[in-house]
Amino acid sequence: MSDTITKRLGPLFWLAVGWLAIVSLLALFAPWLPIKDPDSYFLVRGERPPYSPSGTHWFGTDQDARDMFARIIYGARVSLVIGFVAIAFGMVVGGTAGIVAGYLRGRTDKVVSFIFIVFLSFPSLVLAILITALLDRGLVTIALTLGVLAVAPVGRLARATTLAYADREFVTAARAIGAGDRRIIVRELLPNVVIPMGALALLGMAVAIVAEGGLAFLGLSVEKGPTWGKLILIGAGSRELEKSPWIAFGPIIVLFLTVLALNYAGDRIRSYYDVREIGL
Amino acid sequence: MSGLQTDGRVEQGRLLTVENLSTTFATERGPVRAVDQVSLSLDRGQALGIVGESGSGKTVLSRSIMGLLPSTARREGSIRFGDHELLGSGAVDMSKLWGREMSMVFQNPMVSLNPVMRIGEQIAEPLRIHLGMSRRDARATTVRLLRDVRIPEPERRVDQYPHELSGGMRQRVMIAITLACGPTLLFADEPTTALDVTVQAQILDLIAEQREERNMSVVLVTHDLGVVAGHTDVIAVMYGGRLVEVAPTAVLFADMRMPYTEALLQSIPRLDQPSHTRLTAIPGRPPDLLDPPRGCAFAPRCAFARDRCREEAPTLTPADNPEHRFACWYPVGSAEYLETRERIASGLTIGGRS
Amino acid sequence: MNYWVQRLTASIMLLLAVSMLTFGAMNLLGDPLFNILGPAAADTKPESLEKVAAAKELYHLDRPLPERYVRWLGDMVTGDFGVQFSSTGQPPVSDLVVERFPRSLTLLVMAQLLASMIAIPWALITAARANRPADRISTINSFLLIAMPNFALAVILKYIFGIKLGWFPLTFKATDPWLTRIYQTFLPALTIALPAAAVYQRLLRTDLITTLQEDFILMARSKGVSRRRVLLRHALRPSLFSFITVFGINTGALIGGSLIVESIFRIPGLGSAIVEAILREDFPVVLAIVMIITTAFVIVNVVVDIVYTLIDPRVRR
Ligand SMILES: Nc1ncnc2c1ncn2[C@@H]1O[C@H](COP(=O)(O)OP(=O)(O)O)[C@@H](O)[C@H]1O
Ligand code: SF4
Ligand SMILES: [Mg+2]
Repeated sequence: MSDTITKRLGPLFWLAVGWLAIVSLLALFAPWLPIKDPDSYFLVRGERPPYSPSGTHWFGTDQDARDMFARIIYGARVSLVIGFVAIAFGMVVGGTAGIVAGYLRGRTDKVVSFIFIVFLSFPSLVLAILITALLDRGLVTIALTLGVLAVAPVGRLARATTLAYADREFVTAARAIGAGDRRIIVRELLPNVVIPMGALALLGMAVAIVAEGGLAFLGLSVEKGPTWGKLILIGAGSRELEKSPWIAFGPIIVLFLTVLALNYAGDRIRSYYDVREIGL
Repeated sequence: MSGLQTDGRVEQGRLLTVENLSTTFATERGPVRAVDQVSLSLDRGQALGIVGESGSGKTVLSRSIMGLLPSTARREGSIRFGDHELLGSGAVDMSKLWGREMSMVFQNPMVSLNPVMRIGEQIAEPLRIHLGMSRRDARATTVRLLRDVRIPEPERRVDQYPHELSGGMRQRVMIAITLACGPTLLFADEPTTALDVTVQAQILDLIAEQREERNMSVVLVTHDLGVVAGHTDVIAVMYGGRLVEVAPTAVLFADMRMPYTEALLQSIPRLDQPSHTRLTAIPGRPPDLLDPPRGCAFAPRCAFARDRCREEAPTLTPADNPEHRFACWYPVGSAEYLETRERIASGLTIGGRS
Repeated sequence: MNYWVQRLTASIMLLLAVSMLTFGAMNLLGDPLFNILGPAAADTKPESLEKVAAAKELYHLDRPLPERYVRWLGDMVTGDFGVQFSSTGQPPVSDLVVERFPRSLTLLVMAQLLASMIAIPWALITAARANRPADRISTINSFLLIAMPNFALAVILKYIFGIKLGWFPLTFKATDPWLTRIYQTFLPALTIALPAAAVYQRLLRTDLITTLQEDFILMARSKGVSRRRVLLRHALRPSLFSFITVFGINTGALIGGSLIVESIFRIPGLGSAIVEAILREDFPVVLAIVMIITTAFVIVNVVVDIVYTLIDPRVRR
């Protein structure tokens, strides 16, 4: 069984998973790994920073002579947490709302669907800007804000999948033997909705990570510490790009590979289980 | 109509000569020879009927002649159209002949017209491409063509879309499209199969009438021997990608020699039956083209088959009348045939057809 | 007819919901007085109290929330967006909108035009060569482009075309002539257009491949229509539906993306206006811009619906 999965998901899938694992592990264990301190200034006498990539600074340093490699790894901590918390929130809230709406139908479905439409017709970045600007810009606030944005797309998929399954024989059979709504939802519907949702979760995590970067470019990302978005931003000015392109391109490459890996893995899982395409 | 004439157009006599034509599809499971060593010919103004069960290769044969095949297909043999060789190196550019010299009426008018293009435009397209007509002339010709194919209110119809017309009307539109440039050769691939029984005869009559008027040659493809009976000069019966019996229509009906042709004839339904039930009348299935049988392809289903049939494939050979050719070791009327008949009649053969 | 009435009702409901949501959030979560008056808002000195009262009066802040909402909505429907929160005079919000809106609109229209101009030929070429090497490579390319975050693409394009090659200016001057500003908008528009083009191409290619297998395509070929004309005149139009739908839906996402791109390329459009306004908690400006964006989105989707009926005579209502 696992053999056929390996074959059909393809080597690129495992490459993507491998990359995600490496990035996650580096981020998780960063304080205990032999990497430089992300907040130290590695000034060299007689030379003005930023310093280009070298044996001591693999990804170079920024304008303040801080080690980019270390900052990217510490940035991963924030970016990955944001991505993870956001999509987890979206899954729990959106998933529940979507399944319940799809299962109960009728007026509940109408109301929930309308709320989804309202959220979806709102350019999500504008909503994110609104919330982050009005509340504080802590890690949790930002992650939950992006989580709120994930609710509607996730909910819509959960609803559609539930609708597709709610009339299948095994659900009608469960109802016929007297199973309650709760039981049917948890035991019969949830397992079938989980796989397409899992694929969507990977894509959603990529969207959340990118959204953090977008907020950073508007000056609205997490206030403390490096994030991938903020790292790219400090290298993105015309002067910096001209003189020290590595400041922007280091984190761009890492961010892009991570987003690519999440997209690819999600895509493969989705087509592996032949899940209908639903835009996020 | 003199403006429509192409240089070297055949005015009378031999229009089409097909020799040893074979068509093979490359598929994942291996080569499929859907047309095998087919030879036939057609004069200007003549109507040829190609008859056979579904899957016998009629569509592939007509599309092979026309050159309308997917890229997986390979053709061998020779196809001469007037003075042109259509096959092999130096073959003429087919898209110059398509729609102008030869055109095709497809089986299902519901899906063969462009749903988002006005009918007038679809008819005018070949006129403008091949004859370089102005928009205005093309429109006038289009209205006249619609009138020719008996569509009421043609001035209004030209601006309608296919979905606004019934199936029969759409098939008339399709015929108008194929007639637009005055082709010398018209293929009609099961032109009535998708239509209501009541309009089938009308469409066939329309094709016959236009053939007469334009001295056009017609290849009428059908699974229904009853359809070709009144509308063709010559009939070619196809089975498993091969021609198994060819004869002038009158000769064939008077003296059919292939047991398969006979079975086809017996499978013509009574009028009160829906047209789609007719093919179940011959028990068994057509041969697997990926792995064709060694001898006569019909042998597994033939009540008259003997050992020789399973060993050696019969070739198309002339009967007493040289215009009548058939491929069978024990044709209708032969001593062996009569013997088997008698045995069936006396109930000695188990599992034979009754 | 019935359909369009339904459609209109749904659009209005949507706009109302969005306006309530935004208006409520802005008023409940922030303290407008502080942003108008600064520290004086919390003062108890008599002159400060006077100022507070005056500001409350001016911005109707002493009225209950629902009343303020209705008043604001009524004004907005008649084209009056109110005045900007400011301690130095009260410039009307519409001044700001009139100045910024055309720039953002130009950017977005240019981006969508570019995206379509790239996607349609790209899809036609790949669909005609489906599953051959050129198509395979293009599939990989579009996957990469779709995964590329817009700010990263902005930086890359800025680096290549603005800095290394120097083909495009990196400044946007509102005082420059019209044509120059279009030229300055090209790179930001391309940033938005490329990933969008990849999405459109993928959809359109799939639909084209399906259409090319239809019988009416073979029929067109048998009329002697050239391959090129079959692709352009017969296959393209019936294949446009998913593309157009997504084109409409995508507009919302592109508006979000264009806020960031505007900021990277320093185009003073609605994007920078809303960010500045949010940071200043200048509610009338935020509300006006949110409503403009949402209305634009609703309009685009209605237009998409109309285009649908133009393309396919079968869905005429
Ligand atoms: N594109 C193709 N690829 C492979 N096999 C084909 C293709 N088109 C037709 N065939 C095969 O050729 C045979 C004859 O088909 P067809 O000419 O459509 O029969 P008919 O028109 O007599 O019903 C069938 O067995 C079919 O499977
Ligand atoms: S050759 Fe034999 S099997 Fe074939 S049709 Fe004649 S009698 Fe039947
Ligand atoms: Mg056929």
